[in-house]
Amino acid sequence: MKETPLSNCERRFLLRAIEEKKRLDGRQTYDYRNIKISFGTDYGCCIVELGKTRVLGQVSCELVSPKLNRATEGILFFNLELSQMAAPAFEPGRQSDLLVKLNRLLERCLRNSKCIDTESLCVVAGEKVWQIRVDLHLLNHDGNIIDAASIAAIVALCHFRRPDVSVQGDEVTLYTLEERDPVPLSIHHMPICVSFAFFQQGTYLLVDPSEREERVMDGLLVIAMNKHREICTIQSSGGIMLLKDQVLRCSKIAGVKVVEITELIQKALENDQKVRKEGGKFGFVESMANQRITAFKMEKAPIDTSDVEEKAEEIISEAEPPSEVVSKPVLWTPGTAQIGEGIENSWGHLEDSEKEDEDEGGSDEAIILDGMKMDTGVEVSNIGSQDAPIVLSDSEEEEMIILEPDKNPKKIRTQTISATQVKAPSKKPVKKRKKKRAAN
Amino acid sequence: MALEMRLPVARKPLSESLGRESKKHLVVPGDTITTDTGFMRGHGTYMGEEKLIASVAGSVERVNKLICVKALKTRYNGEVGDIVVGRITEVQQKRWKVETNSRLDSVLLLSSMNLPGGELRRRSAEDELAMRGFLQEGDLISVSFTLHSSIFMFALGQGVLVQVSPSLVKRQKTHFHDLPCGASVILGNNGFIWVYPTPEHKEDDAGGFIANLEPVSLTDREVISRLRNCIVSLATQRMMLYDTSILYCYEASLPHQIKDILKPEIMEEIVMETRQRLLEQEG
Repeated sequence: MKETPLSNCERRFLLRAIEEKKRLDGRQTYDYRNIKISFGTDYGCCIVELGKTRVLGQVSCELVSPKLNRATEGILFFNLELSQMAAPAFEPGRQSDLLVKLNRLLERCLRNSKCIDTESLCVVAGEKVWQIRVDLHLLNHDGNIIDAASIAAIVALCHFRRPDVSVQGDEVTLYTLEERDPVPLSIHHMPICVSFAFFQQGTYLLVDPSEREERVMDGLLVIAMNKHREICTIQSSGGIMLLKDQVLRCSKIAGVKVVEITELIQKALENDQKVRKEGGKFGFVESMANQRITAFKMEKAPIDTSDVEEKAEEIISEAEPPSEVVSKPVLWTPGTAQIGEGIENSWGHLEDSEKEDEDEGGSDEAIILDGMKMDTGVEVSNIGSQDAPIVLSDSEEEEMIILEPDKNPKKIRTQTISATQVKAPSKKPVKKRKKKRAAN
Repeated sequence: MALEMRLPVARKPLSESLGRESKKHLVVPGDTITTDTGFMRGHGTYMGEEKLIASVAGSVERVNKLICVKALKTRYNGEVGDIVVGRITEVQQKRWKVETNSRLDSVLLLSSMNLPGGELRRRSAEDELAMRGFLQEGDLISVSFTLHSSIFMFALGQGVLVQVSPSLVKRQKTHFHDLPCGASVILGNNGFIWVYPTPEHKEDDAGGFIANLEPVSLTDREVISRLRNCIVSLATQRMMLYDTSILYCYEASLPHQIKDILKPEIMEEIVMETRQRLLEQEG
């Protein structure tokens, strides 16, 4: 599917918000989203969640013959795939540009920085070496794929254990997992990519752009660093011109961020190690929280409405005729008037909010004097609705008398949760309102 | 700031509230439509193992000997005489690429536009350079396909775009409606619906390129937001969209506040009332 284009007003909105230092999700300019790392049951399998962006990393190894010009070094192979479930725009044929760019960046970050000791991967020089393969799959695209992918790659590599090998003379023995514990890879340092998005020709920058921010950005600067403040890779794309001090500032910020992220990774790895040693349960099933809303569900119970008509007739016929007292309205201020005296408040102690509702209801009565007829309707919600949901406690039963000019008053009993706004008809006897508060 | 919270409620299946007598023959991909080989197969079907099998999810329509399956949710398939609302995605040499919620990008040729100066002027190099002055990326336009590949088109100024499934827009004689409630609506066949304030006077000479950027009054804005919410609720309840249904829905929604229309219960209530009024009007 094609990507739906962003509308003009959305684009303008995002850019204006960024100018005012506001981001859609409420973060500050240098804030990262929540990073969550979870491991699978196999060694070398992990899922990294950067906000909603999810990347799955899997490391596997194989014994192969080495490259001819590098006889004593192991082989590293990286592959990032944008799966179709990540975004509707990702289709088998369409993703080439982005895919190539991300793969190149990852390779430069992890291979050229020599974070993994390839010499230690050698088993028999010139004949057998380990080939380590890192497969990354993008499961959900919500911006900043490169950061999430680099974290996933390095975490998977740190987590991975390769089978133990021993060489005796010409004999090479490969121990299975049962015979000997697998051995971790030898990793010198952990390079992590940090992305900076630039807007308005380089005047504003954001760290860790989300998907919407990526769509309106002018350019992107990616810096791969490790916690020893060594820059492994730096790449600027999008054609913006950056000043020297901007790049320096970004590298300082990246240094701080990388230290934080590295700590997080270490902690996650230690936790997983501990759980495995203690024999506890590990794996994706345990680390992924069940996302469920466990709360009361509103049940819709059917109400028997077969005899409502008869009941209504009964009520109408038995109702009393309206009292003859017609009290003159008293005008307090323009727009606020009072007809008659209200009844004594039968509630003991009113909370403030309730009182406000009460007053609101009162001041809504716009009364016009001098005999002008006014069309006021009585707004009662859920009158006669047959399938009103059953409400839990806290219901207030209101008995209201609706007065019509030439008819008998109809007494209608309604169940409402909130205070209803009732406008009193003009020039009619005072409306009686008895609120019976259900036992709390 | 007041927050509203609600508990999850099990959703009612639509068939309960519809209560229709005529049951449509609904199929999913892979369902057998018929084993009778005398029928011609139309869109959405294929022949396999002596049976006619559906390839899309939708309702089966039969016209004499032709059987086709009309998909319920699909991308837009263009036809002559349709009106669509589209958004410019690219400005290329001598043409614009327009996004219309269809499988392929639509193309708007410079040669098919009526430029000031009469019909027979050849498109010169200056016209090409001035293309961006007419329509830029991100602009919304409303286009109609006519037989002789000349089109009637104008750019849209201020208003609200609502995106629904193309299958919900009814085919009618005209798709430009001026509703009596104070706004106008363009029902694009591709599912893009444009709601905008009714212009006071029609401007023909500018060719519709100059957008009216005067601020819209509050009452007009409220009417437009209410209309937009009504259209969204009709689309959620899978009702066909045409001027009468939108108008009835608008009138049914008047007692509620504009923001309340989007709540599920009120949405159901309004749409049910609309449905009843439409049935009364037909029968």
